[in-house]
Amino acid sequence: MTVVIGFEGSANKIGIGIIRDGEVLSNPRRTYITPPGQGFMPSDTARHHRGVILTVLKEALEQAGLKPADIDCVAYTKGPGMGAPLVTVALVARTVAQLWGKPLLGVNHCIGHIEMGRLITQANNPTVLYVSGGNTQVIAYLERRYRIFGETIDIAVGNCLDRFARVIKISNDPSPGYNIEQMAKKGSRYVELPYTVKGMDVSFSGILSFIEETVFAMLVEITERAMAHCGSQEVLIVGGVGCNLRLQEMMGVMCKERGAKLFATDERFCIDNGAMIAQAGWEMFRSGYVTELEDSWITQRYRTDEVEVTWRD
Amino acid sequence: MSMFSPFNTTAMATETNQETGKLEFFLDVPFPSSREATVALRSLSPDREPRRGGISKQLSVSGSTLSVRWSADEARILRVSVNSFLDHLSLVVETMELFGPPVNL
Repeated sequence: MTVVIGFEGSANKIGIGIIRDGEVLSNPRRTYITPPGQGFMPSDTARHHRGVILTVLKEALEQAGLKPADIDCVAYTKGPGMGAPLVTVALVARTVAQLWGKPLLGVNHCIGHIEMGRLITQANNPTVLYVSGGNTQVIAYLERRYRIFGETIDIAVGNCLDRFARVIKISNDPSPGYNIEQMAKKGSRYVELPYTVKGMDVSFSGILSFIEETVFAMLVEITERAMAHCGSQEVLIVGGVGCNLRLQEMMGVMCKERGAKLFATDERFCIDNGAMIAQAGWEMFRSGYVTELEDSWITQRYRTDEVEVTWRD
Repeated sequence: MSMFSPFNTTAMATETNQETGKLEFFLDVPFPSSREATVALRSLSPDREPRRGGISKQLSVSGSTLSVRWSADEARILRVSVNSFLDHLSLVVETMELFGPPVNL
């Protein structure tokens, strides 16, 4: 029996989760939500995390019904992500690892998403579409690495949606992407940009439907190409944008056409959370990984394929 | 200058090194034990300064005191780094208060 606690705070969510042999015992999370029209800045985000992290840690232990002695390994997000929030979370992880006398394990945030997706969906060896505010990658596992087959050449798709939400001042509660999705559902016309004007009125839901249809179609295309390249019959969508039902629908159509299976998780696990770091940590710890304190520095850049995936064949 | 520390008062000093012309800042933080000072040291030392140039710091433990020495080109850069460190130190101390003392190994 192996119990791992995972700390995650690389963007505006701070989450701490505990996993015991594939069972999520607790996964509390808080989100730093900014006013409409504003994104989240690193130092404000770090301050938010600083204010709640110890409370969330207590919650994680209480909800799991565990004491620190019951924990086997302390996993935390080494990167990628925003520097100041990453440091805030790593400080607490390093400190409790020492206080409790437990080994520390630095986890790649993207691999956290992948391992959580694999655990929850039990997908065997899927082509992975990882889409969030900070990342957009198509990933396939091959010979001990999560290979990046394709990625954004500039900004992440979630970033694109978030920035658009900011321009038209959509609420960031619970997340800008969620609110875009709700508004886009009401749009019924696919319109060509650059803009839609009816006399003195403008139509924004049409633009939002357009944005979603276009960016999601792009993602479906690159995923399909990776599947064809790898001869894969499974797709797993992870990352916050993976919550979007329209994306899942469009991906589902492509999968059906190819006779492939689509896997996705709900908002508990596709949005950044602590348990996903615990799950990746669980896999890594059991296959012999440990991070020495001197090597536990955080890093804003950390490629998914930098990690040797020793826990898979 | 005084800083809140739940363990004891903390000593600080700023000087200009006459030879190098750099600003130097010294901080000594007493802990209840050498073990706890070392826990703080090992939590606070791994991360690099976000700003690569113009600032460097050294952390060490002597007895039960954590010592930090900064060397910076400009006061503004020094202030940012020291403020940031104090925030981090206070988080580590608070974590140790809530989840400590360290277990016997």
